[in-house]
Amino acid sequence: MKQFKLHSFFITLASITVLVSCHKDKVAPAPDKPTAQRAGIYILNQGGAGHNNSTLTYYDYTTKSLVADQFTAANSSTLGDVGNDLGIYGSKMYVVVNNSAAIYVTNAKTAKQIKKITLNQPRSIVFNKNYAFITSYDGTVSVIDTATLTITKTIPVGADPEQMAIANGKLYVANSGGLLYPAPPTNTLSVIDLNTLTEIKKITVQVNPIALAADSYDNIYVLSLGDFNTVPAGMTVVNAKTDQIRSKPTVSLGYNVPIYAQGDYVYYPTTTDNITYQIAVYNTKTQTLASANFITDGTVITTPYSVSGDPLTGEIFIGDAKDYSSDGSVVAFDKTGKKEYSITAGIDPGKIVLVNK
Amino acid sequence: MKKSLPFIFRYPSFKTELIAVIFCFLLPASVFSQSDTTKKLKQVNVNTSLIPTIPAVGPSQTVSAHEFIHYSAFNVADAIRDLSGVTIKDYGGIGGLKTISIRGLGANHTAVLFDGIQMTDAENGQIDLGKLNLSDIEEITLYNGQPPNICQTAKAFASSSVLSIKTIKPALTAAKPYAIIAGIKTGSFGLFQPYLQWQQRLSKTWAFVINSYLIDANGRYSYPHNANGVLEAGTRTNTQISARQADGALYWVKDSASFNLHVSYYNSDRGLPGAVIDSIPPAYGQRIQNRDLFIQGGYEQKWAYGFHLLLNSKFSNSKLHYLDPHFINTTQVLDQHFVQREYYQSAALAYTILSNWEASLATDISVNSMDADMPNFPNPTRVSSLNALASNLSLGRLTLQGSLLYTKTFEKVKRRTAYPDKHLLSPTIMATLKPWNDQNLQLRAYYKSTFRNPTFNDLYYGFSPNKDLKPEYAQQYDIGFSYRKGVNGLIDFITINADAYFNHVADKIVFIPTLYNGSTQNFGKVDIKGLDIGIKTAVTRAAGYRLDIGANYSYQQALNVTGPVTDDNYLNQLPYIPKHTLALNAGINKGPIGVYYNLIAISSRYYNNNNKLADYMPPYSVSDGSVIYRTLVLTFPVIISAEVNNLFDKNYVVVQSYPMPGRSYRFSFQISI
Repeated sequence: MKQFKLHSFFITLASITVLVSCHKDKVAPAPDKPTAQRAGIYILNQGGAGHNNSTLTYYDYTTKSLVADQFTAANSSTLGDVGNDLGIYGSKMYVVVNNSAAIYVTNAKTAKQIKKITLNQPRSIVFNKNYAFITSYDGTVSVIDTATLTITKTIPVGADPEQMAIANGKLYVANSGGLLYPAPPTNTLSVIDLNTLTEIKKITVQVNPIALAADSYDNIYVLSLGDFNTVPAGMTVVNAKTDQIRSKPTVSLGYNVPIYAQGDYVYYPTTTDNITYQIAVYNTKTQTLASANFITDGTVITTPYSVSGDPLTGEIFIGDAKDYSSDGSVVAFDKTGKKEYSITAGIDPGKIVLVNK
Repeated sequence: MKKSLPFIFRYPSFKTELIAVIFCFLLPASVFSQSDTTKKLKQVNVNTSLIPTIPAVGPSQTVSAHEFIHYSAFNVADAIRDLSGVTIKDYGGIGGLKTISIRGLGANHTAVLFDGIQMTDAENGQIDLGKLNLSDIEEITLYNGQPPNICQTAKAFASSSVLSIKTIKPALTAAKPYAIIAGIKTGSFGLFQPYLQWQQRLSKTWAFVINSYLIDANGRYSYPHNANGVLEAGTRTNTQISARQADGALYWVKDSASFNLHVSYYNSDRGLPGAVIDSIPPAYGQRIQNRDLFIQGGYEQKWAYGFHLLLNSKFSNSKLHYLDPHFINTTQVLDQHFVQREYYQSAALAYTILSNWEASLATDISVNSMDADMPNFPNPTRVSSLNALASNLSLGRLTLQGSLLYTKTFEKVKRRTAYPDKHLLSPTIMATLKPWNDQNLQLRAYYKSTFRNPTFNDLYYGFSPNKDLKPEYAQQYDIGFSYRKGVNGLIDFITINADAYFNHVADKIVFIPTLYNGSTQNFGKVDIKGLDIGIKTAVTRAAGYRLDIGANYSYQQALNVTGPVTDDNYLNQLPYIPKHTLALNAGINKGPIGVYYNLIAISSRYYNNNNKLADYMPPYSVSDGSVIYRTLVLTFPVIISAEVNNLFDKNYVVVQSYPMPGRSYRFSFQISI
């Protein structure tokens, strides 16, 4: 249903014009942060479904320059329709383009294309021990050998798998079933043994799981959208040691459920009035809510669409999709939740990844 | 049907029984519709220069049936695309969706009237003008503001503009009490379209018109396609259409009273080609089926002592079946059924108080409901009551029209929460001044305030309604003039229409996915400043040549003024609205032959709010050409025509990711008996 709904509202949005109030986002003076290691930030913008306008924004830390679409700049071609996930492993970057059925493998520093791998309806990517794992709405996880860049195995999981997380030698896959419509969504995580590359069990979580994050204590945080009827969106914490449900903290989630773990905290957006969002901070050590809102200086994120960070500096980056049909932005915050600067992104900035020099 | 034929011929002065007869063979329309189809090309007297009339009160533009060939038009959207202020949103191809935006306002702000009664789509509020065939249409008029006649339905006062479609009315004599027009169209896209129209005079007072057509086409066309940076030729597939329509209209006219009853059934099965997505093969298998039935009737009477009564009724039942057999989930199928129903009753009474002063009251009640086999769909029913008080007053050279519309809606749902009741007032004031005794110059101005209510899609599509949602308001201010002059000499006549306008849209209704399942909100304000200019002229030469030239130009500055002023999109042009639109039409007639050329040039547009380079859509111009030859076969008038759309085979896109067809041809043959 997510995909289905997304299509319809993007079509609606594309046909109408509209706009949320937003700020003029300028590339402000770069942060006073170590750039010894980091080269810059990539932002994968999904674009509007059916518009073939997914872009890869690149902000260079050293030159402080912004390239609206580094992929096009490097390859003279476009990413296509709905770039859904982005990951860097070794010297290569992987761009997962959902509707265009493509995984573009590029040089991580230049975004120059090395190979295009075709995969039906790919969604998310994670890496482990020279393998990339990619979920597909076909109900599978494809295993790609990062040396040969070929699909070596396809693992059947549940319906419409979304994000994945790795903990305790296992791969956890969110089986959303969000497209089983008109049947209700599903409510499991598939657990895959990373040695045998087979599904070993399914864990029941809140219905329609989408976003996963793993902390450093072998916990998996699952954000689910609910069934759009009686079951609301919610969070489930899974203990990866026992594969049992650890808790179901009470959270008030919005439509967008990005989640990001850094240090002893996980960050995710919450809303109570459907209009204003906060970025909740959950303490992974004490398993309690550390802060209802990470943002301490009153900076407004209209539509938090992605959350990421830099463990070296403690910075947190939040992608703002604004009205879903105009250019979004990525706002960088220092570890105390004060805005450092803002970068203009493309439409629906869904993934933020740092690239090293 | 064939059995009925002699029956009706034998009893030409039948009355009530006849209604039953007509119904009997109209209702099994799926059988009837298999047979054939109809189209009437109005006879045009090629030797007379008819000077177009100038608008009565507000700005208006008319396209008549005989002009459809001038625009190489295949459907209503094609026929009106030259008109000033019109922007057609065209998804391409023979079965592709085509909606209209007038003066920068969305499709929901234009009412489409079919013989005076509004065609509604409660689900999304937009009428697909590509679905409306020209075969039984006599005339299409676009009114900015509202039509000049105040004895009309209340709904005709309710929109910011009105597209009035009038069907062919029988004009037969006792000497020749029938007319049969049969024709066929074929050409590119694998088109096969036979049509038949039968007009029959039954008595001095009764007559009927029966139309039917069939369209079968594979709809395929090629377009340039981006394959990972390389342009190659793609082919639009899954574009086939199979459509049948049958309609019958019964007319009764006596003295100053008239009655009509119209039954129409449309049945189509179309492939949906979808957006062209980079680097994957075209989608296939998605289909949409429509089964639309409507019955509408009208009664009109004028009394000598000044009363004028107009009654209209309508029932419609529209079924839509959407099937995606390759849906991107594990079940691989999305299969949905939607049914909309409308019951509508309107009564209007006008009274001529003084010879120069007329007042009217119109009351409409409509009940719109929708069912869908979606989980938790609330099956909403909306009851709307509209009351319009209107008046026309002539004071010498000044004519004034004012109207006040009161709209009340309330809604019921079977589950979840209903949209709250709404009560709204919409005023209009229009004025026309003829400043000199010369009747050929007319100045005009109007102000009109309208709104569009949220549609069922806005309210009930998979989420709880936003109870605070307000209607979307549109204020229009217009000032303009019309000038016409008959000239004896170089040209026969010249007419000029020009209007400058300002529209302000507040509380634009937009889907914002805020909570986990999203909601619709009022977001955004738009200021539209525009200019509509239209010129027509004709030249006749003794040698028998007649040259007709028309040009329309539209300027639309449609700016996003949502704010704050620091917003990136503040003062950006709205997506898909071109700043400049130019339409040129020229035709030469000599004797039985007519040759026509049409050009539409659209300036660049953006398809997103940001107006950035990546969203830029380049300007384009598209030319069409047609040749028509009129002759007699035995004693029967025959019309043969050939049309070329996109004469120069331009690659262009109206809607992002929906490429338009290259050059295409259409040939038609029509005989009148």
